[in-house]
Amino acid sequence: MIPGNKDTRDGILFSLPFMIVFALFMIYPLVFGFYISFFQWNILGTPKFIALQNYLDLLKDERFWSSLWHTLQFVLMTTPVLLILGFIMALLVTGKSPLKGIMETCFFVPYIFSMTVVATLWAWIMQKDFGIINQILRILGKDGVSWLTSEKNAMWSISIATYWWTAGFNMVLFTAGIKQISKEIYESATVDGAGPLQQIFHITIPLLKPTTILCLILQVIASFNVFGQVYVMTGGGPAGSTRVLVQYIYETGFNYFRMGYSAAMSYVLFLIIMVISVVQYAILGRRND
Amino acid sequence: MKKHSKNVIFRILEIFIIAIWIFPLVWMVITSLKYENEVVTRVFTFLPQNPTLHNYQEAFGSTYILQWLINSLVISVVTMVFTFLLDAPIAYAFAKIRFPGRNILFWVVMAGMMVPFQVLIVPLYLQFTSYGIINTLLSAILPRLALPIGIFILRQFYEGIPTALEEAAFIDGAGRLRTFVKIILPLGKAAATTVIILAFINAWNDFLWPLIAISDSVNYTITVGIANFQGTHGTEYAMIMAGAVIASLPELVFFLIFRRKIIDGIAMTGLKG
Repeated sequence: MIPGNKDTRDGILFSLPFMIVFALFMIYPLVFGFYISFFQWNILGTPKFIALQNYLDLLKDERFWSSLWHTLQFVLMTTPVLLILGFIMALLVTGKSPLKGIMETCFFVPYIFSMTVVATLWAWIMQKDFGIINQILRILGKDGVSWLTSEKNAMWSISIATYWWTAGFNMVLFTAGIKQISKEIYESATVDGAGPLQQIFHITIPLLKPTTILCLILQVIASFNVFGQVYVMTGGGPAGSTRVLVQYIYETGFNYFRMGYSAAMSYVLFLIIMVISVVQYAILGRRND
Repeated sequence: MKKHSKNVIFRILEIFIIAIWIFPLVWMVITSLKYENEVVTRVFTFLPQNPTLHNYQEAFGSTYILQWLINSLVISVVTMVFTFLLDAPIAYAFAKIRFPGRNILFWVVMAGMMVPFQVLIVPLYLQFTSYGIINTLLSAILPRLALPIGIFILRQFYEGIPTALEEAAFIDGAGRLRTFVKIILPLGKAAATTVIILAFINAWNDFLWPLIAISDSVNYTITVGIANFQGTHGTEYAMIMAGAVIASLPELVFFLIFRRKIIDGIAMTGLKG
């Protein structure tokens, strides 16, 4: 069919430009980073091979465990709420309301803003003395809340800003899922006398299971990688109570220049994310069939 | 009648929800139009008593914010263009050319999507330091060029293009490259738009890597610049909000133009920033 079959040559030539960049800036650093993690590697001085010492140090590093715990807290605080919010938004924008177009745009628009803008804005809204939430609370005769400056509240405050920022993303995925459910199912349910709530619980939610699994897995990964919101809103404080793992990796590598240790930590995080994703997929995906 | 009043309640509720959701953005703009002494006081005012653009002048005058916008724009546009130039040919190869190792290569590339970026920051930093390009815009661009999700989208689209169209071109004596440029690329325009929009947004919102790669404040991207605002401008909240407004305007315009494309693109891929 093709004159003088050149498929092999063409395939290689067409793949080559991407593969070169991919090899240089993805595969090579991935391997190099793993290599570094076996060294005591400071930015100055000669790297020293220390085998598994970095990984062993991690196990005894209180900050590592607390950062991991804070990350986990953030995952647990954000994932369920973001899924439910996204789902409710999707119901609103796929309904019969004449406002559904406006709602879709409004719910989605925060996601388009860069995270640092969102975090800066919420840090101002939640500011202790002059932020609008506390100003209103005071007008109502209540005390202002230490949104970002108390260990009890800080992670929740960061979570609230995150809800606002990314709920619209989940809405888009759920909306796409809902639109794929055939209208006839709802019509016959209506004929059988099922009310709107019954339809949601007995038709929409069960049929959205694949979308929900996708959302869940993506959300858990995204929440595990949290960094910017924390960096801008609390800087990890107060007293390190919101320091998350990516931040600790960043600080270790680029404030204290302990590159080997930082690399080892990032591989542990990678492993954790992989294991959790695979487990989620195995458990939820299987039951789905 | 009963149904009608129920509808009215629903509409009012919806308007209320919309208002709450959009309020933070409104508050950002309102704050930016106030004088600092009206902002930092316990005497609460909602609307600016003496609306002013002073904070905007201040932001442009006393920070590099204009330069940061230009940097982000340069980085995002270059990333967008090169992402497409790199992704499209290999996506075509994956979709239409039978060559040995194709499937293995495809899965290797797709596995790249699983790698969280923070695994790469230390090695990339050392790598770029040794190349002598750390602290340049180039260093912010290079690691973002290989976008596996783009390949995924394009490949899916190219697979749907009938092979008969290609064969007709081959019979007319066109080579692979010509066929690709003249037939595949024009037909794949919709998918291409999605990919370059996603690449642009990704690059524009990138934070962790430019924070590490770029240390001179003149070379900051807008995301890094805004993040450091609070450190350098402490309690000048009105000015900080003016900076936030300036930083979001390009994105907002971009969104309003490509609203449908952006939302559909995300629905298609589940790409999470």
